[in-house]
Amino acid sequence: MPGGLDISMVVQQLVNGLALGSVYALIALGYTMVYGIVRLINFAHGDIFMLGAYYGYFAITMFKIPFALALPLAMGLAAVTGMAVERLAYKPLRQAPRIASLITAIGVSLLLQNLGLKFFEARPRPYPRIIPMVVWDVGGVVVSNVQLIMLALAIALMVLISLIVYRTKIGKAMRAVSFDKDAARLMGIDADMVIGVTFALGSALAAAGGMLVGFYYNRISPTMGAMYGLKAFVAAVVGGIGIVPGAMLGGLIMGVAEVFVIAFVSSMLKDAIAFAILIVILLFKPAGLLGRAVREKV
Amino acid sequence: MVSEAKATVAKSIGTRATDGKQLTRGAVALGGLAAGYFLVVGLHRAGVLISDYYLQILIWVGINTIMGVSLNLINGFTGQFSLGHAGFMAIGAYVAAYMTKILGAPFAPALLVGGIAAALGGLVVGIPALRLAGDYLAIATLGFGEIIRVIILNLDVVGGPRGLPGIPAHTTFLWVYAMAAATVVIVRNLIWSRQGRALVAIREDETAAETMGVDTTRYKIMAFVVGAFFAGVAGGLYAHKITFIDPSQFDFMKSIEALVIIVLGGLGSITGTVLAAFVVTFLPEALRAFADYRMIIYSLMLILMMLYRPRGLMGTAEFGFRQLGLGDARSSARDVGGQAMGRNDGPPPVLETRGVCMDFGGLRAVSDFCMTLRQGELVGLIGPNGAGKTTVFNVLTGLSEATCGSVHFMGNDITRKRPSEINDMGIARTFQNIRLFSNLTVLDNVRIAFRGERPYSMTEAVLRAGRYSSQEEEICRKSMEFLRLFGLDDRASEIAGKLPYGAQRRLEMARALATGPKLLLLDEPAAGMNPQETHELLELIRWIHERFDLTVLLIEHDMNLVMKLCQRIIVLDYGNTIADDAPADIVKNRRVIDAYLGEEAV
Repeated sequence: MPGGLDISMVVQQLVNGLALGSVYALIALGYTMVYGIVRLINFAHGDIFMLGAYYGYFAITMFKIPFALALPLAMGLAAVTGMAVERLAYKPLRQAPRIASLITAIGVSLLLQNLGLKFFEARPRPYPRIIPMVVWDVGGVVVSNVQLIMLALAIALMVLISLIVYRTKIGKAMRAVSFDKDAARLMGIDADMVIGVTFALGSALAAAGGMLVGFYYNRISPTMGAMYGLKAFVAAVVGGIGIVPGAMLGGLIMGVAEVFVIAFVSSMLKDAIAFAILIVILLFKPAGLLGRAVREKV
Repeated sequence: MVSEAKATVAKSIGTRATDGKQLTRGAVALGGLAAGYFLVVGLHRAGVLISDYYLQILIWVGINTIMGVSLNLINGFTGQFSLGHAGFMAIGAYVAAYMTKILGAPFAPALLVGGIAAALGGLVVGIPALRLAGDYLAIATLGFGEIIRVIILNLDVVGGPRGLPGIPAHTTFLWVYAMAAATVVIVRNLIWSRQGRALVAIREDETAAETMGVDTTRYKIMAFVVGAFFAGVAGGLYAHKITFIDPSQFDFMKSIEALVIIVLGGLGSITGTVLAAFVVTFLPEALRAFADYRMIIYSLMLILMMLYRPRGLMGTAEFGFRQLGLGDARSSARDVGGQAMGRNDGPPPVLETRGVCMDFGGLRAVSDFCMTLRQGELVGLIGPNGAGKTTVFNVLTGLSEATCGSVHFMGNDITRKRPSEINDMGIARTFQNIRLFSNLTVLDNVRIAFRGERPYSMTEAVLRAGRYSSQEEEICRKSMEFLRLFGLDDRASEIAGKLPYGAQRRLEMARALATGPKLLLLDEPAAGMNPQETHELLELIRWIHERFDLTVLLIEHDMNLVMKLCQRIIVLDYGNTIADDAPADIVKNRRVIDAYLGEEAV
């Protein structure tokens, strides 16, 4: 690309950034929903995302299941995994100090990642090409069918999750538990069940994100969860943790910022930008872009 | 057998021996450390027990000890959850390696400069810690660690992603042993001092610590700077041991390793950390056959520890002289001082607020609040729930900054001062919902609040020199006096959170008084008390008011108590002052009856 910023280059990066950002948004939703309901940074979420990608991979390569079926299957398996993690590792610590759950979450993340390294092999695997890549050139901006499918799927899932959270009975229960778990319980809401469902939904979205990443970048590895997970978490914080639309906004911002840094600054800094954004947001708007500051009551 | 008094001391942080014993113990400790070194080296020379291989492992134990102890200072003692320790280690490793390899500097200054560079990193990372807590801080520090790594990755002068090979192998067992011992001793001495108590107070309740005069900003940064310094030293030792470093060695996993050590050893236990450093270093060696499973075992260990033994091997307990029966008894001084704590030369009025208002979003919680408190007055602040009473307290103590208006105390404008500064100037408070350092002992609660004139410095604390011993003894003695005044001296060694309710209220007052205030603010001290306890409280407040020559402002709903106790009563309603008068006139005031008292009170 000849020097200087030409407009089609910027638009091009914007398209790429939105594609990547939609994946961050999907993962960020899981963080934000879980944080909203149990006030826990589920460090293992990134690794559920990784597992989701592998569930899909094995479904397609070993069992020859078509993508359209492999996607819901991987999402379902990830949902079960997420619920199991919650039940075994987090639930016993619900009354414990926050730091105990946080350390446990880090432990679970490491465990899943290392189980992955052990059983899926450390080498990155090429993701199966599900459909032939078609590329359109729109006025100098290259858009692929993969990007469009990715965006469409991500948006569809985000709409679905918003409908669940804001329009269904279980969604209302989730918001109630998030607001005040004990009060919700007294109103007859099965808080444990609601928390389980939250983990399941979040994990399913992460699995979808995992498969889309495999689909888009053509490779997956057992350690991919760490970086995607962290960046998606940052996305959730940027948007305002616990706020569903915030996670989507944050995800898109993250994706675009990262792609722009790679394109216009240095690819070496692509992982640093996320944390730089995080620190700036935390220092100047700690409740996130869509959040409201809550003061400790004295 | 340990006596009752010794038990008290053992459970509290930082009780001091007398000068003579101090010296003996210092000598014993040094002698023990030297003996330990010569024992290991002797055994190694003689070829008994310690082979070359084990000596190498012991070097790693030492490096891990430094990492763990320094992280524990930040995480365990100060309660600032940091996940960026590898970043500090990386700074120390790279700076030290650069100095020896490229500049040809000797090892000692290289280690020192590496530590200082890491400490500067700690200073930078400490700044977000001022605004963030818990999970957010964890993520922010993790981010800083990553950013440090990315910066190194982009620094060609130290090899960027290719790393820095050929670092001289300066790290010997002696170096590691000496540095680890120094880290343990310095951190230990720091923890067992007034500075250390301030750190622990921040962990327990930051707001309460701040209002008790702990400059939380300063101490949090101190914890990060000191912790980072030693992590940097550990990094220097690491680099000169392994002789080749690259950025990937200092990733998130390295921080996790340090975290595993302190979680295993106990957040807030130095000896536990040392023990855990042994376990974590030797375990993978013992499990060599399962090398592939090392990380799986680590992660399972983290999870299982949290589920089944969340306090680690040692919890916050330590193993030391006391457990060996060499502990010291509490100072025998039992004379009640009881001198007036107040510096009572200030001219009346003591406190003056001018047109203070406080908005929360669109809600005006307090508006145009004007009040003058004169020296020695005992004034009640009453009003219905939500009238803005506690908000007034928060403004007076600096926890909330008034939207408009000003607060003057002893002639100084304190409107924009920090809570700890305001406390230093002589305003102390209690809280409506008791905020003790509930996991600490009764004695420690008071000692955290206690400050003498010209308190000893951090250097004196670390070196156990200068004013340290005499002041610690005085702090301990005076604190016990305060406890005795409040009938709590026989419970000095109990955990504050386990006291009965009434005793907790009394302890909170004792703690507030220990800061040496001229003005005491009591927020609903009688809440939840029965008539008998309320009566005792009435006597207690009267008594401390006189004894300490205090000015007292009291929020209370128990009208009986307020009427009997106060010389003057201010009534708030919806943030407005509707009356300010003597008790006898307040009960006849029409507006007060309508807003608050109701008809039958008249």
